[in-house]
Amino acid sequence: MQGELRPVSGGLTVVTGDNGAGKTSLLEAIGYCSSLKSFRGSPRESLVRSGSASAIVRLEAADGSRHTLVEIEITPPRRDQAMRNRQRVRRVQELLETVRVTVFTPDDLALVKGGPQERRDFLDEVVVSAHPRLSVARHTVERVLRQRNVLLRQAGGRAGPEVSTTLDVWDHQLAAAGTELAEARATLVAELAPLASSAFSRLTGTGAGVVLDYQRSFGDSLAEALASHRHEDLKRGVTTVGPHRDDLAITSDDLDARTRLSQGRQRCVTLALRLAAHGVVGSYAGAPPVLLLDDAFSELDDATAKALVSELPPGQAILTTAGPLPPGSSPDAVVRLRDGRILP
Amino acid sequence: MAKEDATRLAQAIVEVKERTVLCSVCFNIGIAERCAICADDRRDGSILCVVEDPRDIVAVERTREFKGRYHVLGGALSPIEGVGPEQLRVRELLGRLEPEGVTEVILCTNPNLEGEATAMYLARLLKPLGVRTTRIASGLPVGGDLEYADELTLGRALEGRREVDA
Ligand SMILES: [Zn+2]
Repeated sequence: MQGELRPVSGGLTVVTGDNGAGKTSLLEAIGYCSSLKSFRGSPRESLVRSGSASAIVRLEAADGSRHTLVEIEITPPRRDQAMRNRQRVRRVQELLETVRVTVFTPDDLALVKGGPQERRDFLDEVVVSAHPRLSVARHTVERVLRQRNVLLRQAGGRAGPEVSTTLDVWDHQLAAAGTELAEARATLVAELAPLASSAFSRLTGTGAGVVLDYQRSFGDSLAEALASHRHEDLKRGVTTVGPHRDDLAITSDDLDARTRLSQGRQRCVTLALRLAAHGVVGSYAGAPPVLLLDDAFSELDDATAKALVSELPPGQAILTTAGPLPPGSSPDAVVRLRDGRILP
Repeated sequence: MAKEDATRLAQAIVEVKERTVLCSVCFNIGIAERCAICADDRRDGSILCVVEDPRDIVAVERTREFKGRYHVLGGALSPIEGVGPEQLRVRELLGRLEPEGVTEVILCTNPNLEGEATAMYLARLLKPLGVRTTRIASGLPVGGDLEYADELTLGRALEGRREVDA
């Protein structure tokens, strides 16, 4: 992959090319500047062209008159070197605050069809994009759970006084961070719900919306739930209640989206969720993130593809497609890719 | 560096290693059975500052805010790393309270998850014994290491310590 992309600011840029031309890599490179992670989960080694030692991504973000240059050097197995305006970046958070992206990929179908972990991860990523300080609670929950589960297994089903006192301490930490995270997710879901529902009905061209419901695995108090489940947790060697057992239930016309909607409708649900998240993050950040739509039309019927293009939110969007554009769509720019190169 | 200099330096490192011992009272690093701080009569024996690691003593000493004595736990609670209360010098800490007339214990473990858990664990042991138990004020970078906190911030955190409600 080589070349320079100049997407239209505040408009839609379409990137076309055959499969394997490098369309997804291009979006992946933009996303990498936001999180130092590949949105399709590619290992770092595979981001570097074979035969080369490193990959370099340069991105210029413009926010009004303020320009920020982000430069990333990926040289496995060394740690990524990230610079912002030629200054070394120490925390990924700094990048996230400079380059915000909303990514939609065909794999997103897992958001609806997959297990609850997919939906929790989605919610957590959006929560942290909208409220960066909550990354502490997210990280704490993850880490306490690992500590607590190891302790539960070490206890071998019995809790002597020593184990009980240490469990109390971890429970206290889990209750605090877990409640904060679960409440942030529930608030987010309430914010997403109306946006997702109207996006869904526009995409499907029907009156039907979607209903989002954040389902907590515990009642009012996580501390009490942890205490009342302790016996079971010790027996099973895992933590059976907490934000890591919560789920996001999605229904349309009372039908469970996961099991009762057609695959076409499920795709509309994932798009609606992404577009809603895009709106929420944009309202907190003060400006909409850059919308990256990878291979967005591949699995959509013509009517939905057309609705997607006409319903794109204001702001910058970059969309890749191997096929033709839906009839009637008028992108602000079209860029062609061939064999990993951007054609002039 | 000339070759003989290198040899001499290596020797010096070996000697330092051989001569340092853990203080039998507070488990700080020293060169005698009792470390320099424990041996210093001017230090206030009624206040104990509990830290994870001898390097944290260096950090607290740099603040010049603390005139009491120390106790080194030798780590923090972390089941993942196989560290429970038995792996830390908790019993030794409890054993010092009465003989040394300790009235306040400052919990100065790292401001990260494991450090907080350790502080809370100790607070729950200490409070029923009637010892004033305090925790350094928050405001230190979360997830950080005491060792890397600058002396001004750490000094303020010590000064602003609060009684723990365990
Ligand atoms: Zn000593």
